[in-house]
Amino acid sequence: MLTGSKTTFKVRQMLPDIKERMLSQSGVTARSRDVFGLRCLPGECVLQRAVMVRKKLSAREGRGWVSGTLFCTHFRVAFVPQDSPKPDDNADPVLLGDHDVALASIEKVVVVGPNRTKLVTPNSSLKFTPEELVLYCKDLQVICFLFDRLTPDAQVIEITYTIAKTYQPLKPGSVLSFQNAALGSVEMKQFLSNRRRNTHMNWFESASDWEQELERCGATGWRVSSVNDRFEMSTSLPRSIVVPQKVFDTELKKSFAHFNEGRIPRWCWRHPRGSDLLRMASFQNNIYHEKDDIRNLEMILFGCQSSLCVVVELGEELPSPADIQLAHGRLRALSLGDISTSVSVPDDKWLSTLESTRWLDYTRACLRKASEVACLLRGGHLTVALQEADDRDMGCVVSSLVQVMCDPHCRTQHGFQSLVQKEWVMAGHRFYSRINYHRDNDKEEAPVFLLFLDCVWQLLSQNPSRFQLTDDFLLALHDSIHLPLFSSFLANCQRERCKRSQNLGQSYTPVNGWRDMESSSDPSDPPLPSVWDWSLQYSKHRRDRFTQPVPPIPPLQPLLNGNLNTNPDTHRLTDSTPGSVFLLSRGVFSCPANLLPWRSGSSGVYKKSHRRAASSENVPGLERLLKAWALAEFPQGLTRSTPAPQGPLDPYEPLLPLLMGPCMGLWKECYLRGALHAQAFSHPVSANHPHPVERLAREVQQLEDQLAQVSTGTDPRPPTKMAEPRRADTNLNQNTNNGTFLFPAAPRPAPRAAPPPTSTNHQTSRGPPPASAPPSRLGHKDNKHTFLFGHPPGAEARPDQRYYPAPNSAKPPKGSGSSIAS
Amino acid sequence: MEKSGSVDSLGSKRSSSRQPSVDSLSSTSTSRSDRSAQAKPPFAMSSDSVAASAELSPEFRQVLRDSDKEPQLLPNETVQDYAQDVTYFCPFIGALRGTVIVTNYRLFFRSMDRELPFVLDMPLGVVSRVEKIGSASNRGDVSYGLVCKDIRNLRFAHKQMEDTLRKSIFEVLVKFAFPVSNGLQIFAFEYGQVFPENGWKVYDALSEYKRQGIPNESWRITKVNDHYEVCDTYPSTLAVPVNIPDEELKRVAAFRAKGRMPVLSWIHPESQATVTRCSQPMVGVNGKRSKEDEKYLQAIMDANAQSHKLFIFDARPSVNAAANKMKGGGYESEDAYQNAELVFLDIHNIHVMRESLRKLKDVVYPNIEDSHWLSNLESTHWLEHIKLILAGALRIADKVESGKTSVVVHCSDGWDRTGQLTSLAMLMLDGYYRTIYGFEVLLEKEWLSFGHRFQLRIGHGDKNHTDADRSPVFIQFIDCVWQLTRQFPAAFEFNEYFLVTILDHLYSCLFGTFLCNSEQQRLKEEIPKRTVSVWSYINSQLEEFTNPLYVNYSNHVLFPVVSLRHLELWVGYYIRWNPRMRPQEPVHQRHKELLAKRAELQKRVDELQREVTNRSASSLSEHAGSPTRSITPVQTFV
Repeated sequence: MLTGSKTTFKVRQMLPDIKERMLSQSGVTARSRDVFGLRCLPGECVLQRAVMVRKKLSAREGRGWVSGTLFCTHFRVAFVPQDSPKPDDNADPVLLGDHDVALASIEKVVVVGPNRTKLVTPNSSLKFTPEELVLYCKDLQVICFLFDRLTPDAQVIEITYTIAKTYQPLKPGSVLSFQNAALGSVEMKQFLSNRRRNTHMNWFESASDWEQELERCGATGWRVSSVNDRFEMSTSLPRSIVVPQKVFDTELKKSFAHFNEGRIPRWCWRHPRGSDLLRMASFQNNIYHEKDDIRNLEMILFGCQSSLCVVVELGEELPSPADIQLAHGRLRALSLGDISTSVSVPDDKWLSTLESTRWLDYTRACLRKASEVACLLRGGHLTVALQEADDRDMGCVVSSLVQVMCDPHCRTQHGFQSLVQKEWVMAGHRFYSRINYHRDNDKEEAPVFLLFLDCVWQLLSQNPSRFQLTDDFLLALHDSIHLPLFSSFLANCQRERCKRSQNLGQSYTPVNGWRDMESSSDPSDPPLPSVWDWSLQYSKHRRDRFTQPVPPIPPLQPLLNGNLNTNPDTHRLTDSTPGSVFLLSRGVFSCPANLLPWRSGSSGVYKKSHRRAASSENVPGLERLLKAWALAEFPQGLTRSTPAPQGPLDPYEPLLPLLMGPCMGLWKECYLRGALHAQAFSHPVSANHPHPVERLAREVQQLEDQLAQVSTGTDPRPPTKMAEPRRADTNLNQNTNNGTFLFPAAPRPAPRAAPPPTSTNHQTSRGPPPASAPPSRLGHKDNKHTFLFGHPPGAEARPDQRYYPAPNSAKPPKGSGSSIAS
Repeated sequence: MEKSGSVDSLGSKRSSSRQPSVDSLSSTSTSRSDRSAQAKPPFAMSSDSVAASAELSPEFRQVLRDSDKEPQLLPNETVQDYAQDVTYFCPFIGALRGTVIVTNYRLFFRSMDRELPFVLDMPLGVVSRVEKIGSASNRGDVSYGLVCKDIRNLRFAHKQMEDTLRKSIFEVLVKFAFPVSNGLQIFAFEYGQVFPENGWKVYDALSEYKRQGIPNESWRITKVNDHYEVCDTYPSTLAVPVNIPDEELKRVAAFRAKGRMPVLSWIHPESQATVTRCSQPMVGVNGKRSKEDEKYLQAIMDANAQSHKLFIFDARPSVNAAANKMKGGGYESEDAYQNAELVFLDIHNIHVMRESLRKLKDVVYPNIEDSHWLSNLESTHWLEHIKLILAGALRIADKVESGKTSVVVHCSDGWDRTGQLTSLAMLMLDGYYRTIYGFEVLLEKEWLSFGHRFQLRIGHGDKNHTDADRSPVFIQFIDCVWQLTRQFPAAFEFNEYFLVTILDHLYSCLFGTFLCNSEQQRLKEEIPKRTVSVWSYINSQLEEFTNPLYVNYSNHVLFPVVSLRHLELWVGYYIRWNPRMRPQEPVHQRHKELLAKRAELQKRVDELQREVTNRSASSLSEHAGSPTRSITPVQTFV
């Protein structure tokens, strides 16, 4: 086929051949291993490989190069380092290995030749042998492979062509074929159908899920209605919605017509002080309000207990989806740089260019709005209704940010997953259109969810110890968005998801885990897993980094019993009295006449009786709540008027972000990880990851494990004595309920660096690295004087050498002379 | 490490770390002031010195006692004046009325009209200038603005004096803020605090050279400058190549600006590649040459067998270097210096840096414009200058470490940019300097002994605030160090508070360390005898300044990323006065807790292990004695 490096040929010509090979191999290679050590997915086949390739390591991986074999399968570009440990054939398949990238994430393929760079498209032909292959990914990674002189030229060219024509960025239907490649094999389908659903999180799919949430929040006065069970009331709302108890379904049905897309005010969350958070779409104005309707609408809007309702208009101060898309596009261009066009912002213009993307302005706007809402809710006994024209974009952002700020549960991994499930997936955020997987709807494309992740990252980076989840988790979620594989993101609402799973005879919804092999025969529609099935995507050691190894300082308290609002009824006016409604916009409360369409115009009964009282009495009160937020930026002591601070341990104090210019950071670990200019210096240098605390915490964990081991050894009757010391320890760290995720209850396998159980002296762990340490760091070893700190794989292989404490000493060893580099 | 770094520095944070109680979180009212409160050693004495102090009116003493509002005075600190009903215009919380006390060391303001007292406690040394803003207000108030060296401005006002003879308290303040201009003594000479540690013993040139392995077969210690005859801005102890006799040294010195000939700063323990520093050669417009100088550089190169090349790093932009020829200076021509390669590092001069910091102050104090923050920051070019300095130091470190090549570093005079570059390169190359003691040694050596002109650059006690010799060269260096600590959070034994403390006492004039311009002057003024070293203060309470996450990486070279994309503004220093910048959580407190917990667990593991060993030994003997009892412990630990 290829006669030499000078050969020019059209990629197209190879297509049938590839297809043939795909077909011939598909299904046969299940759970097989390529001879060069690639662990294939069931049904995955290797299209091309190149040996003696070096991969540039990112800052996160410690920088430098590692050599190995490069593969292109019909699902991913995989790279297996030379000395990586043999994969375990019996382990469950992981979609992406540590060095892999899915074809669908690739946005651009660029090759670097002796004197030039070239963008490679499926149709392009190469007139030179590439020395370097650069993959620009949609998730902002840039992956760079270097071909050695030892790499056969034919392999270099062929793998470049193969990648170029299989990643197929724009071809319609490529998403489907990608899904098929990843998940379509019989084995994979069977494997997926046996996946268990994560029971630690709330999926908000059924009425009981919502009831569970009501109970968790201590929200009384609300009920779960199944009035939309067949999506007849609103196509974009989920099956179950939470409405005030006193509104009956028959009455409820009449109110859908009054809101855009039928998205009536629905309960989202209750603040422990008794305020409720609602979301709704804008009002349908051209509709006649009957008296009964009005009563129902008021009841729905005021929720169950408040005489006071604040409508927070999300349209004005927040960016539109188009704004977000534009800003994100600029940020991408700025972050990636591009060697094929040599367009890279010069360093001295970096800051102003970053500013001009407006991305940080938008994150600030979202955080500011969410902070305002959080402060209102903190006031207690009112209803805050977030209103957006269609209630499917910024409503999701703000409502979930408010909960992240106010509810410690949402700062745990499972709590956060539940939150996304509740406020995004089920609430009908148009993931499918916004992400535009098929590249067929550019107008709708807008990474609203990514903006939200950035906001969460800002909160996390300002308050790292108040989160149980880590930025590794956020990053993984960020990257998964770009894989068109997950049911969570491949639909715009629950109805679409249900339709799809019904087509599949419900068999492959990982939701139920039911299996029905027959209906899987249609290869065009593989079952889609949920994004929360992380073990499908990532290896164990990556997943371990999703959560902080030790609990945050303010113990994570579930809101289960935390309802501070012991008697919600005390402040409630009688049912028939409609309360006052205010509009919060641009930080100002007002009471425009047309705020509630039914109150303006003909049905002016409400005007006289309530608006006056409302505006005169409650506005100052509300403004004080907001002022508390503005002043919260100051040390509390300076502001006498605010209530005394609750102290850092009050879990209900919202995490209010600092929004000044210098406080808003750029998520460099995400946006700049691929930036080539940052890697210009060839020496391995530091990275801030993993955080030293993380490692320290890991050591604490190891010591605790050791303790458990030792105490097992101490006492031949384990149940009585052995549990003693361990419990005493863990109690220091963990509160009531979080033991499950922080320190797995099941006995952990001996940690990597724990001394082998046979050693007489635990201090052996200070010795040479365990033989099992993956020796994949060879690429760096020559740099013997180089600071390798922040080199995750190495760090994991030999953590004790770096961090081993001198016994009985709180200080790290100063003169132990332990050195990482040999 | 996003936040943790900046965290340790801020006032409120600090107090919480010292007394981890609730009040540290609620007492943030004083956070703006306790930064400067920390400028004084915590164990300062107080009341009796008030009693013994100046001839105050009994009435005044009454006021002081009644309100219990006097500051904790230091030894030999005396109250000079006080005034009531002074308004302090805080840019963040508005006008506050209160009392001002001026001592010979500090300005102390305490608000009267607040339930929660507000305190401002500031060493007078930070005052750069005092301006009377006339009777700005219609009520006949007189207003004074204090421009400070530490990135803040203060504004006070009080009623017009009825008694025209009486001086305003701020005129009294001027006298003590600028003692040098007023024929007074800098407070450091009066401050008599005794510390358990003696900071003047931290640095000894000979033992530092010995630590580096000097003298050796290629380098020797020379006493040629013992009485500062050859170069009055150099230290008395110098390390030079073995085969250059002292007589030739003098001729080399004659060819270098201010006699600052190339001398050794650091030598690589393995490759013997060296970092040497000097000033520019006096080439002039005619391209003068010096055979001795050429031979000398050759000797530096020959001292390192690993490489047959020598790199000369000229810190200046090439244009500036060329312009210096007009003034008799210049740079080494590659014709004259065989095997030498000259590299210009494009770092601007002290005037550009001063202007840049001034712009930065405008951008960050008091108010920050959020919507244009980044472009405003960019327009100050401050980070760009930081980047260039770091990049230069990185190139030096890279040449020495990876290229095994010796380098010569100079700028014009060799006491500003040269010091920045050599000390940063040494910090990257040698883990010793990343310890607290090592860093002190580094400052004593590269900055103090090699004659960075602190007096001139800072202007201690000098009212001439427009002096063109003032420049934030040293601040820039500390900023660069901070950038390194951000990129290598566990590689430094000291924390951010250590760096902030150094900068605070750079201005405070409480300690003698940063007084004078050279070793010779310091000796003449008997600084070590008459003042206290800042290292005495720091080394007496090391735990305050220790990075809990420090790991001894002494054998590792740090190569930072110097792209602007990875540099940050040091908000913990430049924006620390803004209460909105308060850190949200005591991260470094958490680090300490984790370390303590680890120690505790380690102890428990040890204990249990011992117990197991003992028990299994006894059970083995038991086992031998009575074979019926066959429950043996798991053999894992035997």
